[in-house]
Amino acid sequence: MTSKASFSASASKSEPSAGLQITGIKDGNHISQDILSVIDSSKKQLVVDRYIYIKKIMEENKQKLSSITQHLYNLSKFRRDTTISNTDTDVNLLTRRQDDALCTLNSVELSGGEKDGSSCQEESSYASSTVILGSNFGGKNAVRPIKLPEVPKLPPYTTWIFLDRNQRMTEDQSVVGRRRIYYDRGCGEALICSDSEDDVVEDEDEKKQFGSTEDYIIRMAIQKVGLSDAVLDLLAQCLGRNTDEIRARYESIIKIEKTEECVKKGEDGVDIKTEDALSEKDLDAASDSFDNLFCRRCLVFDCRLHGCSQDLVFPSEKQLPWSNSDDDTPCGMHCHRAVSKSEGIAAMNSQMPHDSELQTQSSGSARASLYTKKKSHCSSVGRRAKYHQGESTSSNARVVSESSESEVHPRQDIMSVKVFSSSKIKQDGKYGIRKKDNKRIAEQVLLCMRKRQKKMVSSDSDSIVSGHLWPHDMKLRSNTRNANRDSNSSSQNKIVKSPIIRNSRKKGLSQQDTINLAYVEAQNDSTGEIVKESLAAGCDESSRKEEFVDESTCKYENTRGKSWKVIEQSLFVKGLEIFGRNSCLIARNLLCGMKTCMEVFQYMNYVEDKKTYGAADGANSLVEGYAKGNELQTRSRFLRRRGRVRRLKYTWKSAGYHSIRKRITEKKDQPCRQYNPCGCQSACGKQCPCLVNGTCCEKYCGCPKICKNRFRGCHCAKSQCRSRQCPCFAADRECDPDVCRNCWIGCGDGTLGGPNQGGDNYECRNMKLLLKQQQRVLLGRSDVSGWGAFLKNGVGKHEYLGEYTGELISHREADKRGKIYDRENSSFLFNLNDQFVLDAYRKGDKLKFANHSPNPNCYAKVIMVAGDHRVGIFAKERINAGEELFYDYRYEPDRAPAWARKPEASGSRKGETQPSSGRAKKLA
Amino acid sequence: MLKYSSVSSLLSGWERGGEMAKTGQLGCEAAVGSLTPAKKKEYKVSNRLHEGKRPLYAISFNFIDARYYDVFATVGGNRVTVYRCLEQGLIAVLQAYVDEDKDESFYTLSWACDLDGTPLLVAGGSNGIIRVINAGTEKIHKVSFVGHGDSVNEIRTQPLKPSLVVSASKDESVRLWNVHTGICILIFAGAGGHRNEVLSVDFHPSDIYRIASCGMDNTVKIWSMKEFWTYVEKSFTWTDLPSKFPTKYVQFPVFIASVHSNYVDCTRWLGDFVLSKSVDNEIVLWEPKTKEQSPGEGAVDILQKYPVPECDIWFIKFSCDFHYNAAAIGNREGKIYVWELQSSPPVLIARLAHAQCKSPIRQTALSFDGSTILSCCEDGSIWRWDVVQS
Repeated sequence: MTSKASFSASASKSEPSAGLQITGIKDGNHISQDILSVIDSSKKQLVVDRYIYIKKIMEENKQKLSSITQHLYNLSKFRRDTTISNTDTDVNLLTRRQDDALCTLNSVELSGGEKDGSSCQEESSYASSTVILGSNFGGKNAVRPIKLPEVPKLPPYTTWIFLDRNQRMTEDQSVVGRRRIYYDRGCGEALICSDSEDDVVEDEDEKKQFGSTEDYIIRMAIQKVGLSDAVLDLLAQCLGRNTDEIRARYESIIKIEKTEECVKKGEDGVDIKTEDALSEKDLDAASDSFDNLFCRRCLVFDCRLHGCSQDLVFPSEKQLPWSNSDDDTPCGMHCHRAVSKSEGIAAMNSQMPHDSELQTQSSGSARASLYTKKKSHCSSVGRRAKYHQGESTSSNARVVSESSESEVHPRQDIMSVKVFSSSKIKQDGKYGIRKKDNKRIAEQVLLCMRKRQKKMVSSDSDSIVSGHLWPHDMKLRSNTRNANRDSNSSSQNKIVKSPIIRNSRKKGLSQQDTINLAYVEAQNDSTGEIVKESLAAGCDESSRKEEFVDESTCKYENTRGKSWKVIEQSLFVKGLEIFGRNSCLIARNLLCGMKTCMEVFQYMNYVEDKKTYGAADGANSLVEGYAKGNELQTRSRFLRRRGRVRRLKYTWKSAGYHSIRKRITEKKDQPCRQYNPCGCQSACGKQCPCLVNGTCCEKYCGCPKICKNRFRGCHCAKSQCRSRQCPCFAADRECDPDVCRNCWIGCGDGTLGGPNQGGDNYECRNMKLLLKQQQRVLLGRSDVSGWGAFLKNGVGKHEYLGEYTGELISHREADKRGKIYDRENSSFLFNLNDQFVLDAYRKGDKLKFANHSPNPNCYAKVIMVAGDHRVGIFAKERINAGEELFYDYRYEPDRAPAWARKPEASGSRKGETQPSSGRAKKLA
Repeated sequence: MLKYSSVSSLLSGWERGGEMAKTGQLGCEAAVGSLTPAKKKEYKVSNRLHEGKRPLYAISFNFIDARYYDVFATVGGNRVTVYRCLEQGLIAVLQAYVDEDKDESFYTLSWACDLDGTPLLVAGGSNGIIRVINAGTEKIHKVSFVGHGDSVNEIRTQPLKPSLVVSASKDESVRLWNVHTGICILIFAGAGGHRNEVLSVDFHPSDIYRIASCGMDNTVKIWSMKEFWTYVEKSFTWTDLPSKFPTKYVQFPVFIASVHSNYVDCTRWLGDFVLSKSVDNEIVLWEPKTKEQSPGEGAVDILQKYPVPECDIWFIKFSCDFHYNAAAIGNREGKIYVWELQSSPPVLIARLAHAQCKSPIRQTALSFDGSTILSCCEDGSIWRWDVVQS
């Protein structure tokens, strides 16, 4: 804000500088001085402005506050007035004493010298029965203290939040990299700032933004002195920045000013823009929260355990829904079937008798089996695409094989790339998920390619199976194989690659064209022609011609596609995913009121056309960007997370301090490994992250059920999974009704009848954590020390009591926190697995108060429940109602605090301040 | 002889612009007050008392009820004492309370009042138990508040509804209590709560939903209980056991300010601005600029600074008079700085020092109109300063 004063000041300053600019250009010193003075003056101006601003808002605040305090004053006066009238009945001792004091004052003569001389009367003890104070009135000024009856105080604890399940630590809770100041009681008021070692503040890397004040200085200086290197240099010096930065900033300032002017001039433009922005919105933006915030493992939004940055894992065995067998009945008057019938295009294509068949009626199972073999992307879009592609490739195959190229190669490219392009259509893969998809596909393609190169024959046959098993296709394949062998033997293979792809693209396009054309009319001829042509001519020639054809069709199709809004397009894509190529269902369920079945059908064909078109780019870029594949993948993941990127800046310190933590086993190593679902689309190979990490694949992995690395669950029946005979139990896992064969739970008392898989009524007893079948635990004053956890009802041996919940923190974080906790001699850290430590300090449940005992009545156990490690507390023996719960914290012997050391066998809990005093007793 | 120094040279702030601190970014400078006292007022010691050897941590006038404007109370050790300031510098003891637990050490007190106007004293300390004393009957008022898991560092009273008190504790929580029914209504802690001891808390003077708290995690947090106000209302009519009240957790503050880089041990609202101090020898006045859409985020605009030399130990608190015209703060060496709060740049009204007052002053109390300043010291003494009428 500029005031009048500032204006006058700047005006007076600008005059001499302007004069100097004209005259003293030769004198460098003079100029720099001049510039400096300008900068200085504008700086001063800013400061003055700032103070004027502060003064102003202080004044405003003062006005406001005075009315507030006036109101408060009235309130307090009101209290006096109302209570005075009431005091007739109720004797107010404070008022009475107040008056008494005044009386004493009046009666006692004051001697002036007394005032300060004798006021230092020291009082020796607090226990004295009367309170004697400064000797203003001698002995009169003494009152008998009123005793406040003692109230038993609570054992110390930090306020904590109840958690019914573990939570992953949020970033702002981290103590890593933060300075922590301890108040050392031993040294009075000394302040210790520790944790210095590696906690260097890393905020510095963030570039400082230009503030409005700096802009102001830059603008003023350049306005007055003109733009020159000297000015910029000096500005840079004054503002502590680079010259280039200043220059760039100045340019941007000018730009902003210009645009602001423009905006002022014509506001219509803005309106148009906002409208555009609205229509740009699409389904991906809308479903973004679903993709990013929905936890696919817990089936809840905003899962605190797995976070919102999980990898999207697409299971490979997604069932194909909605295979519409009730084919030919038109869904309505706008149904594409009705239209097509009327137009009599039933005879679709002699070459492709399967086409219509496949479109209308599809045998899902057959397909599924084909796809698994193909190791391709699983979304139904992809599948559909493949179908269609199958046709085109088959003809491609012919062409390509004639030109003695490898057929499988382009074919596979196209296949997968089609999927790629399917996502491309949606907003050009703007959204990270899509990108990620693409990348994954890309990798798969590349994998396939590699394999193909290794085992040409086998992969070839594979693709043949995955094709439509046309006999003549077969023949062509064998041709190809031969041809391939030839080309393989020569080193040409690689060089040939790119032309192949380009070639194939064109083939694909032509094929698509023909399909479209066929739909419109006269496709028979064109396809035939093209195929013939391609058969006859070399690839180059044919491609040229095809290009011509597809350009024209593209134009035609483009006009058709344009009427589709972005949101409609994305709804359509979702529809494809859900219903497959069924325009009736898509139109009815997703585009109701927006598009007719006929339109959807047309658009579907148009999109497919485009897909093949886009395939080429994809394929090319894939081959080129082979090496970049991995890199891109990670980047795209970051993109997806959008600002929630979890960056771990630190590295492990080798000689890290290890705080004391509760453990399950005495062993040093961590037997448990954190599970992360793998995204393998085929049976997991050696690269499978799960296998590498040493965990089993779980139901959340992308790999098919037949994956050898999967945990198979159990088949227990009568044993109720309660012993080590149950493979789940033996592996420290809870049974999972999704995985195990006979594990289920009945509802109610069984009178309604449970599911009949097992054929008996033996319920699985190994799902207690999953079902939260826990005992009631009470929090109370421990018999040993501080707080303790008590059992409300008696239980038998090995009964599950409850879960030890808390925040999931990294080991490094745990070390840092542990340092703090150890200082307070209170720690709720519990080693969970190789990746995480549970911290129940601020978040947890009552079991965190269970005390340590070397001879406990409970034991803790880390159990894998639905892919997550959780800590269950179990009864080691029979426990009666009301008994306190103890378990062995199993601290590492060298780190354990004094009270938890083995030989002493003291049962005091670590959390309490007083050292164990030997009164620790183990109960029963 | 009493010695005090409030010599000064009057200088208007603008001419002294060179003293403006060069901290922070350009254009965001704070107006820093000059340490040369303005000769606005002169104070001199009119009395001093010695309660005992244990340190006195808090002293406070009763601003809740106009009858008791001249009544103040102190806490130290296991004792709460009520006094009256009389004319000519006299101080009369009215009441004294002693906790039967000898280990109790009270850290804080606040005046409150019941719905019927009964004057109440609310005190808390190392035991974590908040004592509510009915000064009208000289008995414990209904119940003591048990719930804090560790010592209570500060208690403040809602001036608009003086039966609501808020307490800050070492257990990292801030709790809102109703002295009328003895209910713990809200707990301000959890995911967005303080990460270390809470040292100070204050009610907004006009926005009844708002409180500010600060502590050893170096932050000042502003909380809103607007969404939980139904519980506050419910607490007044609750007839069941207080322990059965559905106490709610307020886990997320509306604003987190990192103004200081060390323990923040005192915070007070000044209208919509916030005064807070750390151990950096100054009180800082800043404006919280909250964003409506995104709670928890926002910017801090540091407006003014009130330097207080030798004030680098923690748990030294300042106090304001009823109208927030002045603030008084003691320091490590027993000196008191009286700042004019609302002038810009700040003006040091007076610097109070006495040759015999050497121990750290933990808390001060300004009388209703600021004419009397009381201070309580680590050595257990109370000093009374009265303005010199000229």
